[in-house]
Amino acid sequence: MDCPNPSRLLLAGLVAAAPLAALAQAPPADTKEVPLSKVERKNRVPVSKDVLRVKLPRPVEASLRNGLGVLVMEDHRFPAVNVQLLIQEAGPIHEPAGQPGLASVTAQMLREGTPSRTSRQLAEELARLGATLFASASFGSDAATVNASGMSDNLEEWFAVLADVLVNPSFPGDELAKLKQRLKVQLQQQRSTPFFLLNERFSRAVFGTHPAAVVAATPESLDALAPEALARWHRERYVPQDAILAIAGDVRAAELMPRLEKWLEGWRRTELSPVFPPNPQPVSGRKVLIVDRPGSVQTTLALGNIAIERRDPDYVAVVVMNRVVGGGPAARLFLNLREEKGYTYGVYSNFLALKYPGPWRAGGDMRTEVTEGAMTEFLKEIGRIRDEKVPDTELEEAKRSLVASFALSLEQPTQLLGYAITRKVYGFPEDYWDTYPIRIMAVTADDVQRVARRYVDPESLQIVAVGDGGKIRAVMEKYGPVEVYDTEGRLVAADH
Amino acid sequence: MRFPKSLAPAAVFALATPHLLPAETGRDRPDLRVPIQKVKLGNGLRVLLSEDHSAPTYSIAVTYNVGSRDERPGRTGFAHLFEHMMFQGSANVGKGEHFILIQNYGGSMNGTLEMGLYLEADRMRSLAVNQANLDNQRHAVQEERRLGIDNQPYGKTFEAILDTAYDNFAYKHAPIGSMEDLNAASVQDVADFFRIYYAPNNAVLTLVGDFDPADALARIRKHFEPIPSQPAPPVPDTTEPAQKSERRRTLEDAFAQTPRIDIVHKIPPGNTPDWYAVNVMSQILASGDSSRLYQKLVKEKEVAVSVFGGAQARRGPSLASIVVMPRPGKDFAEVERLVYEELQRVKAEPVADWELTKVRRQERRATAQQLPSTLFRAIEIGTSAVYYDDPELINSYDDKIEAVTKDDIQRVARTYLNDVNRAVVITVPKPKAAPAAAPSH
Repeated sequence: MDCPNPSRLLLAGLVAAAPLAALAQAPPADTKEVPLSKVERKNRVPVSKDVLRVKLPRPVEASLRNGLGVLVMEDHRFPAVNVQLLIQEAGPIHEPAGQPGLASVTAQMLREGTPSRTSRQLAEELARLGATLFASASFGSDAATVNASGMSDNLEEWFAVLADVLVNPSFPGDELAKLKQRLKVQLQQQRSTPFFLLNERFSRAVFGTHPAAVVAATPESLDALAPEALARWHRERYVPQDAILAIAGDVRAAELMPRLEKWLEGWRRTELSPVFPPNPQPVSGRKVLIVDRPGSVQTTLALGNIAIERRDPDYVAVVVMNRVVGGGPAARLFLNLREEKGYTYGVYSNFLALKYPGPWRAGGDMRTEVTEGAMTEFLKEIGRIRDEKVPDTELEEAKRSLVASFALSLEQPTQLLGYAITRKVYGFPEDYWDTYPIRIMAVTADDVQRVARRYVDPESLQIVAVGDGGKIRAVMEKYGPVEVYDTEGRLVAADH
Repeated sequence: MRFPKSLAPAAVFALATPHLLPAETGRDRPDLRVPIQKVKLGNGLRVLLSEDHSAPTYSIAVTYNVGSRDERPGRTGFAHLFEHMMFQGSANVGKGEHFILIQNYGGSMNGTLEMGLYLEADRMRSLAVNQANLDNQRHAVQEERRLGIDNQPYGKTFEAILDTAYDNFAYKHAPIGSMEDLNAASVQDVADFFRIYYAPNNAVLTLVGDFDPADALARIRKHFEPIPSQPAPPVPDTTEPAQKSERRRTLEDAFAQTPRIDIVHKIPPGNTPDWYAVNVMSQILASGDSSRLYQKLVKEKEVAVSVFGGAQARRGPSLASIVVMPRPGKDFAEVERLVYEELQRVKAEPVADWELTKVRRQERRATAQQLPSTLFRAIEIGTSAVYYDDPELINSYDDKIEAVTKDDIQRVARTYLNDVNRAVVITVPKPKAAPAAAPSH
């Protein structure tokens, strides 16, 4: 996730201690009674209305001879070092059609052997050094990532392991066979959670033929992966010229750069330049997709469609619009569906903006009996953000909360580095994050309404409901033509 | 993790907030020691201040000495219910206003400390406990239960483990409580619980970060000192009768698609020498892909797809757990036998040097990675103060890990990893009644 999504960051802090629990206002279950109490502003608590100004510490930036971009954020408070390596050409977005899993399995296999270290030796050496090292390539991403961390006093030793797995993986066949067995069981396990089933169906619906429609490998695609294919993917795609190596912690940038040249000298530049698939377009026509999960006691809902990419000039306005609608416990969806109606434990909206346009979506888990009530309120809130200007006070508070939680996130060096990576990946100006709060505060009610009308269209919503099909189908049919899938992802019924 | 949140029998309310420009960080040598100034107010409230100007943020945590172990039969879920009730308003704060204020005004200068203290003091003094709020929050908790337990694979496994392993009610029931008990709670029950446990003399206020200690203490006195203390709450009895034999239970799960084996052993309370030895041993056995059980069960024998485990820290009898996700079709008894073979090996032979080094270094790295967060420090300090009366534990924890020897590990393995100390819960997918009929049109 590249967007700062400040409300989520603030929540992360709160959840650790005093969760969302907080605000629920459930009236007695399953009735239409007027709520017993509402949110109340007594306005007696002393607050300061100063607006925060920030100037972020800047990382040292450099390029190695092989083209690798390096960012170093020094922080000597604690003797640890965090490393994030983004390999921009090696993500599943670039996989050939029909080979889901090629990118993610290649990444996972990095740790399973090199000419000088077996899988077990790698695991034990990293453990002995007190270091962590994970490689992954998430579905929907254009990049593979390698994340590592360890103490600063033995950085050279654990970085050598990182460099070895990055440059010299050997993809041993026996280890690949074992990994496939584990992954196949995981494919089976993830079908037991509403969360996976929702994402699978929603991504298919909004991304259509774009590669981000795929959220998992299949047993068949895993079976077809051979060590040679992984080695080839690695050889062609794990290239330094567009990669970004970001290091935060107890290191000296000036001393580190020449050492990085040496440690990574085996990593050679190539001529590869990225070719992206055509951007996904918003789907037209409202559709309802039910995933029948018999015995479910809740309906897990998502409603949305393709919105914007990260570089879009509307990005900041969409951040504010999303915060007003569903970005946290002080947002409309939460106050309405949880506070007022008591339908749910939590209800939010969010959006994904990467190098290609991703979806804005709203959703949450509602007990089965109130599925219809929840749908009514989702559509009401979507209508409201389009039809009415956000009142001044509400807009002001929403923007203020975004700035506040952005500032709080600056406490973490890894987060500062994350912002620097985003700036580099998208080619934003040097002061992009310094001016971020100012740009948030400059968003107007007209801006919010404009982007809501442009990107949140009730007539083309893709609506996914994971729940007990027998209990919710009649309700969901009111919102559009229905397709029903089973938990294996198979279409089992459809309106004609 | 030192205090698994799902278990922590203490209630923590905290906020973190920034309030200045980020400072340049460039101090020369790390001093990992967290300074802690301790003050006790006239009403018994313990105040812990940890000044740190390296980032422009601070966190407040108010840790109350209350948890699900204080609940009685028929009234489970109270301690957790209060996590919700604490946002229902108080004399000068409207229902839900707490969240709105923190969200919207947490990021400005000076005023935020005053706001944070005001919010915490107001609810400690005058929480709104009434029928309407209680009814509302009951529903919120019931939705939380559906979301986290009733609608998820392995959702009920945790409750089954506690119920099987423990005899004493204090730890035998899960913090979320039962639907029935939540429905049975009266306003009087809840008001009594609040008066007894949410009193200043039963709480610790921890402030960590960028503030002036003299100024902060003056504000804390102004807001909190007038709140009257209450008679000391009863101390719960968490002692367990001696277990006579291994306990087993099999649980059918309607959502799980593959089985899961949970093996737990009763161990001593957290922050005791034996607990640290068990913790180190658990990491050698089951933490990460270098661990003995991972290498044996997942890589070598391929009878499982994953293995994890660890030692929970409670103030009373705790549990060391090993969780195995077997490959479908594998014989559970064989999987268990392989686990016990590894337990036997820890008893019979000293662990390797590199394994001790692994745990020591990983603990120090984890500490160094978590410490930048003022909220982490505030919660850690407050919890250690309430649990063990040892707020300085944040500064000595890694040393206590370091002090564990090979002999200690063999000794605790022999003492605690026995069948008479063991409970095993096997979760299996519930057989499907019949092929699901395609929904009709």
